[in-house]
Amino acid sequence: MSFNFEFFYQTFFTAFRGLPVTLKLTAFSLLISLPLGFLFAVIRLKERSKVKNLVSVYISFVRGTPIVVQILVIYSLIPSIMASIFKGLDIKMNVFDINPMLYAYIVFSLNTVALLSEVFRSALATVEKGQLEAAQAAGLTTFQGYRRIVIPQAMVAALPNICTVTTNLIKSTSLAFLMTVKDITAVAKVEAAYGYNYIEAYIVIWIIYIIICSLVEILFKLVEKRMKVYKRALVS
Amino acid sequence: MIEVKNVHKSFGKNEILKGVDLKVEKGDVVVILGPSGSGKTTLLRCINFLEMADQGELLFKGESYHFQHASKKDILNIRKRTAFVFQNYNLFSNKTALENVTEGLIIARKVSKNKAVEIAKECLNKVGLADKYDSYPSQLSGGQQQRVGIARAIAVNPDVILFDEPTSALDPELIGEVLSVMKLLAKEGTTMIVVTHEMSFAEDVASKVVFMDGGVVVEEGTPKEIFCNPKMDRTKQFLRRIIRNYDYSI
Repeated sequence: MSFNFEFFYQTFFTAFRGLPVTLKLTAFSLLISLPLGFLFAVIRLKERSKVKNLVSVYISFVRGTPIVVQILVIYSLIPSIMASIFKGLDIKMNVFDINPMLYAYIVFSLNTVALLSEVFRSALATVEKGQLEAAQAAGLTTFQGYRRIVIPQAMVAALPNICTVTTNLIKSTSLAFLMTVKDITAVAKVEAAYGYNYIEAYIVIWIIYIIICSLVEILFKLVEKRMKVYKRALVS
Repeated sequence: MIEVKNVHKSFGKNEILKGVDLKVEKGDVVVILGPSGSGKTTLLRCINFLEMADQGELLFKGESYHFQHASKKDILNIRKRTAFVFQNYNLFSNKTALENVTEGLIIARKVSKNKAVEIAKECLNKVGLADKYDSYPSQLSGGQQQRVGIARAIAVNPDVILFDEPTSALDPELIGEVLSVMKLLAKEGTTMIVVTHEMSFAEDVASKVVFMDGGVVVEEGTPKEIFCNPKMDRTKQFLRRIIRNYDYSI
């Protein structure tokens, strides 16, 4: 067996055609998950109602099941349920025509919301209670206190973990091929299938993910450095 | 000007305040003394609703509020007319000294930014921190942080400033710089309620000393009355322990 460099080289650029899909999946899931995850974190910290239990159950469920299984279940379950509902209501719509991206968005958002809500919960807990009290004593409303004092500090604690969640999300999107979504992994796999050049294709995917994740890490480091200004040690 | 009546507060089954009354006139410096766990701090925190009292009434400049059913608006209103200085400073750690002072002005009281900065600089100058405008709390010593805390309190021109053991977290060398700022404020006629263990401050500055123990006010009076001629046995016992070899004669 020889390493086909030409194929490797070509596939490297072909696979990038899947990049927009990978990025779209990541960006959209994050966009949904950041606010929702934060909301869930606040619910878990503040509420003492059934809503809190519901959120806890949801988080345990997501954390306790492999993402592959979630993909398989949701990808086969939702269409079947919808199909029977539509049939019952006599709506003429073929649920199997729905863009598979939609299921991908759902699975990855469900996952990321759960992970981020844990990240935010621990981050909010790192901010001393006195910070909010001081804001309230200064005449700020609780909301203003959170927005201007507590959340900016919590974000600094949360950033490294948000970075981890983001890179994990990028890597998880490689499983989207199971839902026939054509992301980087799917494109490379298809290329490989023509001439059984799987090794080359897998190395290509490997390198591309390393590049993307490294860039994301660098980006987060920069943001973190900016937000951490106030933590600089005694200098003056 | 400010009066609290019959304040009760429990944490679970633990009753901390068992019906406390306190009256403060404009320009008064009321010092609350007492052993740990006597409810001094809780009383102070109840006055600006950092702690929700279970029962009791607050008279603030002729307006009456009930602790257990004050509305959010009332609470916000009272907080805007009071200021609080914390034992562990609680400066906003993501804001500079200057921003710490302007925050309550710009956000809560809608003062214009330029005006707020002007006021904040004035207040920081007053507490001797003219060279620390742009320092973050992590870059300041404990004494400096607490002086920023006091600047933050006076900047909003409150009707009363509540001090919760402002020097307890400081080492002895730094206590002096904070106390001298507080003395300056007292001299200018600022109304203050101070929880402290600094007996000398109570003696020199207080217009009224309140001794609390076990969730009630045991005794109150002028510093002279309390320190030189305490009536209750509990007060005498406390003072004996705090001020060793105290000479009761003047």
